[in-house]
Parts: sequence; C-alpha cells; structure tokens
Amino acid sequence: MKIDEGPSRARAPVPASILSQGTNLIVSIHTALDDEQLMLLQRDLLDRVGRQRAKGILIDVAALDVLDSFAIRTLADLAYMAQLRGAETVVVGISPEVAMAMVRLAVEMPLMRTALDLEEGLQCLTS
Amino acid sequence: MNGAPRVRNAAGTHHDEDLVNLEPMVRRVVGARVKDPHAVDDLVQETLARVVAARSRIEADSLPQYAAVTARNLVASMATRSIRARERSHLLVDDPEDEDAPVADVLLREERHIVMTALAKLPDADRLLLLAHEVEGQDTATIASGNGSTPGAVAARLFRARANLRVEYLFAAEQLEPPTDRCRPVLRAISSADRRRQQDLDAAGHLLRCTTCARLRALLGARRGEQDEEGVVRVPVARDADVVLARQKAREVAAEVGFSATDMTLVATAISEVTRNIVKFAERGEVVLTLIRHEHRQGIHVVARDVGPGIEDPEEAMRDGFSTCQGFGLGLPGAKRLMDHFELTSNAGEGTTVTMEKWLP
Repeated sequence: MKIDEGPSRARAPVPASILSQGTNLIVSIHTALDDEQLMLLQRDLLDRVGRQRAKGILIDVAALDVLDSFAIRTLADLAYMAQLRGAETVVVGISPEVAMAMVRLAVEMPLMRTALDLEEGLQCLTS
Repeated sequence: MNGAPRVRNAAGTHHDEDLVNLEPMVRRVVGARVKDPHAVDDLVQETLARVVAARSRIEADSLPQYAAVTARNLVASMATRSIRARERSHLLVDDPEDEDAPVADVLLREERHIVMTALAKLPDADRLLLLAHEVEGQDTATIASGNGSTPGAVAARLFRARANLRVEYLFAAEQLEPPTDRCRPVLRAISSADRRRQQDLDAAGHLLRCTTCARLRALLGARRGEQDEEGVVRVPVARDADVVLARQKAREVAAEVGFSATDMTLVATAISEVTRNIVKFAERGEVVLTLIRHEHRQGIHVVARDVGPGIEDPEEAMRDGFSTCQGFGLGLPGAKRLMDHFELTSNAGEGTTVTMEKWLP
C-alpha cells in the first residue's frame, strides 16, 4: 500500500468514531473507507485494546459501501490480533447486498463473529 | 473582403435563386442575435457577399450551413468590435487597426511559419489534396474526376488530411518532436476521431504512458471544442482514495443503467478489486466506465488499465489463492465471479488491462 507522499496532502483523520462502553469498544464507521484508512483504524483499535483494557470490539460497517477482499482481510486480521490480546470482535451491519457480494467473492472470514445489528452484537459480546 | 482573386466563376447566374432563398434564413440568424435593424441589414449583406465569393468552392447543398456559420461569425466579430469601441470611447484618438498592427503582423508571420512547417511534415498526398482544395479552391467533385475517385471519398480523405494537419500543427507550434514512433499515429487517430484505429493502436494505453501525447491530446480536444464522449466516465487512479472514488462512480453509472442495489454492489466490489491492483502494483492508471447497449439489453463496461510492470503469468494470477503481495490474493478470481464478462490482458513490462462487463438481467 502506498502512503501519501509530500506534506501538502495531510490525511484527514479516519471518519469513524470509537466509543468505550464498559469493557467494550463500539466503532461506528461514517463513510466509505479506503485501504489506508482501514489500516489506520485497525492499528488504532489494536492500540486501544491494550490502553483501555477492552474485552470486546464491536464494529458497525453499515456505512461501508463495499466489503471487498482487502476490507474483509483487514477486519479478519484485526479480529485475530485482538483475540491474541484477549479481546473478542463482532462485526455488525452487513447489508443483504454486501453479504451477497461477499459470498460471490468467496473470501473466508475466519475467527470473526458477526451479528445483525448493534443490539445483537452487544448481546454477543456480553454473553 | 479578401484580396484573393476569384479562381472560378463558372458557377454562373442560374444559381442566383439559391441566394435569394438564403436571404430570409440569414436574416433570421442575424435577427435573433442583433437588435439594431440597420446593423442587421449590413450583416445580412455582408454574409451574402461572402457566400457569393466562396460559392465556387462549396457544394450547393451545403450552402445554407455555410451561410449560417458565416452569419454567426460576423455577428460575433461585430460584438467584439463594439465592446472594444465602448472600452475605448474615452480616448480622443482611437486607431485600433494601427495600434495592434506590429504585434498582429508578427503573430501572423509566426502562425504562417507554423502552418508551413506543419504542411511540410504531411505526407505528399495529404498536402497536395489540401492545397488543391483550400488554396486553389477546387471542389471535391473536380478533384474526384481528376483522379478517378468519388466526391465522397475525396471528402473523407480531406477530413483525414485536416486531422493530420492539426497534429502536425501542434507539433510545430509546441516545437517538439514526437518522443516515440507511436505518438504520431495515435494522435492522428484521435484527431480524426477514428475509434477503431484508436483501439487498434491502444491509444488509451499510450496516453497513460506518454505525457507529451496526453498534453497534446488535451490541446487537440480544446481546438475542436469537444468534451469526452457522452456516457463515458474516466477516473484517473494513483492512490488509495481513488479506489473509493472509482467504485462510487461505478455506482452512479450502474444506477443510470438501472441495476438493482445488489448488482450495483457486485459491480462496485469488482471495481474495488481491480482498481486496488493498479494502486498496489502500478504508478498510475485509469478506470473507464461506459454504459453499453446491445439488442435491447443494457449494461456497464469497465476498463481498468495501468502502466505498471504487468503480470508475468496472467493464468496463474487468475487462480484462487494465488498471491504476490503480503499474502493477499489479487482479488481477480473474485472480481471475475462478480461480473458477467472478465478479461485480463497483460504483457510483462507494459502494464495490465482488465475488461469487465455486467448486463442487466
């Protein structure tokens, strides 16, 4: 992946907000993210698992227009790495269209749990 | 008017009624743009006079178009003159013709020099044809009978010769030589708007690679006042954010075609996969989205091309699980499964082109 060259084009922060609720991190993504922003988000979340002693990460991807192989891989890697640091990851908000595209792409999502929406995702994490 | 001698006067007087028929049309054209009735009369007369002067070079059925264009041009130049006059009304002495003369003269001479250089670079046949038609004033029928051709064929050759002259003019005006052997044929194909030839030459690929041609192409477009073809969306791709842009544009085009939300997402996902490869492996490239129609069916046509290192073994790249980059697959087999048609062409060292299509069910 290429990092932006030149200081003239400073990157805006990743358009996602991260709330901590109890021992969980709740991540809601606001707009479509490019690869670099996804990687930044992944790094940031991994850091926070240690800093905030989080036990669960809930990621709402409803705003992502597309979950392609890179996005899926990045999320799956995050789930794996977070698990290695003792935190569980749940992805929520995958729309029917995105689900269909993911099945056609035939990319596996090992180790990552998914739930319909925020509510069910939280239940997943607390149970 | 111009001081050039009338070359042929053979058109004769029996065509004068054509001219009479033209008058109301010219009056409408001018009247729609100019209010002052005296000015309208002047401009109509001037237009008709020019049409008469040019008559021997024009075929009878294109006379009305010629008259209309001439009238519009005259109205435009009158408008420029009156604006100039207004701007200069505070000056006691205004001799606009004289004041700009030295500059105008130099510009004219320079322009002439450029045109001469460009003409000299043209193939002999093109040059002779252009001279015969534009300078000596022979019409297409005369030229055709001279060399056993048809007026239509001569007109087509004239069109190509003018297209070639535009290219040579640009080279001369910019004072540069084409950097590669392919520049000249590619630019000629673009100048003459010859789609098939552009495709044969892989003009789009060449434009990505050759910055000189990309610049000249823009100038060619500006000269002819043309935009990109209708229904075609081009997205230049160089960095991560362009991947998102490409798939958003794809969604817009797919929505225009009438795809369902699911199919739009499939198309956007496929484009995301192929565009990412451009960012990852090549310095730059582009994604071209076209709305296509074929026997009542509609669809979207996607070309993603780059000028990167190319893929050494395209067949291997299409196998599931194949990957060269940090353990990620290329996403190409996935993209193929999302679309109706998928084609990958790549030559090591020359870049990669992925062509995909998706049709409305």
